[in-house]
Amino acid sequence: MFKNIVLLLLIFGFCNFADAQTTSTALKEETNIYERVYDAPLQVVGQESATFDELYAQRPVILALIFTRCTGICNPFLVKLKESLQFKDGDDSFRVMVLSFDPRDNLSDMHRLAQNLGLEENEQWAFAITDSISELTQSVGFDPVWDSARRQFDHDALLVGINREGYITKKLIGLRERGDLDLLTGSINNVFVPTYRLQNQNMLFSCFNYDPVTGKNKPGLGLIFLALPAVLTASLLISISILVRRSRR
Amino acid sequence: MESIKLKKITSVWIIAVLTLFVASIVLGILMRLNQGGVLHQAPITFYSNMTIHGITMIGIWFVAGMAGINYLMERYVKTSYTANLIALILTVSGVLMLWAVTLIGKFHTAWTFLYPLPLRVMWAQWATPTFLVAMSILATGWLIWGISMMTQVLKVYSIPQVFAWQHFKKDPAVKTPPFILISMITLVGVVTCLLVAVLLMALYFAEYFSKGNFVNDALLMKNLTYFFGHTIANEMLYLGLAVIYELFSEVGGKPKWKTTWYVALAWNFTLIFILTAFFHHLYMDFVQPEGFQIAGQIASYLASLPAAAVTVFSVWVAVYRVKIKWTLTNLLFFVGVAGWVIGGFGAVIDATISNNIVLHNTQWVPAHFHTYNILGNVLFSLGFFYWFSIQFTDKRVSEKLSRLILSLLIIGGAGFLLAFYIGGADSIPRRFSNYPAEFTTARPLANIGAVFATVYLIPILILFYNISKRCLKILFSSS
Ligand code: HEM
Repeated sequence: MFKNIVLLLLIFGFCNFADAQTTSTALKEETNIYERVYDAPLQVVGQESATFDELYAQRPVILALIFTRCTGICNPFLVKLKESLQFKDGDDSFRVMVLSFDPRDNLSDMHRLAQNLGLEENEQWAFAITDSISELTQSVGFDPVWDSARRQFDHDALLVGINREGYITKKLIGLRERGDLDLLTGSINNVFVPTYRLQNQNMLFSCFNYDPVTGKNKPGLGLIFLALPAVLTASLLISISILVRRSRR
Repeated sequence: MESIKLKKITSVWIIAVLTLFVASIVLGILMRLNQGGVLHQAPITFYSNMTIHGITMIGIWFVAGMAGINYLMERYVKTSYTANLIALILTVSGVLMLWAVTLIGKFHTAWTFLYPLPLRVMWAQWATPTFLVAMSILATGWLIWGISMMTQVLKVYSIPQVFAWQHFKKDPAVKTPPFILISMITLVGVVTCLLVAVLLMALYFAEYFSKGNFVNDALLMKNLTYFFGHTIANEMLYLGLAVIYELFSEVGGKPKWKTTWYVALAWNFTLIFILTAFFHHLYMDFVQPEGFQIAGQIASYLASLPAAAVTVFSVWVAVYRVKIKWTLTNLLFFVGVAGWVIGGFGAVIDATISNNIVLHNTQWVPAHFHTYNILGNVLFSLGFFYWFSIQFTDKRVSEKLSRLILSLLIIGGAGFLLAFYIGGADSIPRRFSNYPAEFTTARPLANIGAVFATVYLIPILILFYNISKRCLKILFSSS
């Protein structure tokens, strides 16, 4: 009975700790995967207004979320994206949709951005705004924070891959190379993409440690964990057998 | 001889298991009706029900097997009542928490709670830590119980004797009863997989409270999860088989089965290979090295086929052209062995890499594991429950009622399973709360499954009433 009471107290303790949990940063790219993107009405530079589902139904979309008054990551992010996607020039299996998440931006701001990037005439790229931005950002798990002192948004450089059915199949955060973008375009075209989270300093017990230089796996500490329970049971068996030897005689 | 306290606590286990079994079957039927489009549960309700159905079923048939071997073990060694009681208290606490977590907290990771699902809180905030605590409580209670039984056996038999190694030589001086051999081999597996569970929970807790400063390796977590889950789901079958080796011939009025060199060899194979067979759950994980995948396939064969062969052989020799006394107990055992073998065959097909590519995560999976459970292990334990309940009374289930019970179990069970098998062969995915129109056969099959599951429920209710009534009498009797 006493044990049960202690256990119940423990449970209450744990329940109070419950909100200590936050989603690990390493999992940020995994949020909202296989969820549907919000079907926002879009105004696209040089095109007629359309809803998001009309656009992704034509071709899968890589969504890049930026704002034109951005003094931080947005410009390098788009320049890098343009550069990394050069190997896909003329490929019509996807469209890059550059969408402003800042309600202050209008179509001419986006037009200017397209011109500055030299992408105004590029069929693969579209620049757009929407009046339903908060629903859309929420649906893709993008959470910009307004910094009133700097009059800037604090935000991730996020690319969201959306397939023809409107499902988010993959997300990439940061300035990414051609290899990653290849996986992204594959995934929005429903090609299976084998990916695995690389170990980082917070991951102490991985089964294998991948060396990006040699491309080889080395056995890691995690493998010991796999063998440990059997070793413990065997030791337990032998220890018990020795301890109770006397009663056997 | 079995003490009064042991009889009473075994009665409590039996009543608890049967009550939870009926409740979980009802959840199962609701799931099938939902998949069939007759019911329209919210997906979260479906998945919460699926989670608690799976965990409860695994949990209750595991403790049923443990209670069974604990009761019969008293014939050979003195077992610990305290360990049994601790296990009961911790099991009741854990189960109550798990039902609250899923039905109130809406925790719905499926019973396999694959990493990182429990940490992606999509339910009440308290549900994840409570789930982890509940699992830790269950693992602790069962570990204490398992280690205690292991200790008691080792007080009488040495390590070579418990594993019957002396039977590899001619005319061994000490003869290991098959019941002791199989119980011990199973307990070793049980203790190992429960230690895995403790380790797994520790890793979950570490990540949960570290606020991102500690993250787990998904491959390690998946390996550990199936090391625990697959192993416990298999070991519970072997607990049932230990009971059969002890009671089958006795109930039929024949001499007890003996351990021979091939029985010893087959079960020693199980001891070793059952601990690596779980690798077959990771065939689709491209980061798992190929060697592990091949080991998984080989271990799956070696863990199951030899033990199945000697058991079928033993049962066959015991009944073929032999006049034995058939009662509901050994009939349930007999049908159970057939169900176990058929389900095991389905499992071996799925554990073969070239087939798994097609069958993975289709309804073939619930088809085979439900076969060796509802028409296998459940019948082993029901046979034991019935045998136990009539030990202390003159009244038996009439022959007519026995026949009805068996017929309904077989018809209901076979129909329910066939709907899963056909679905699996038709590539219908498992774990869908609703099926899109593209899967044309999925809905009718689900509804057929629900009807047959209801037929299966009828004899279970009869047995529930019949056995629980007697167990309650044992519980409240003074001698
Ligand atoms: C007539 C009785 C039963 C019915 C109607 C039933 C029904 C179901 C259904 C509909 C599912 C979901 C299938 C899917 O993946 O689409 C399921 C899953 C499952 N069942 Fe049963 N079942 C029964 C008996 C049992 C028994 C006896 C056991 C174990 C001893 C069991 C263990 C499980 C497990 C482990 C799962 C997987 C849950 C998960 O995926 O998380 N069931 N059952």
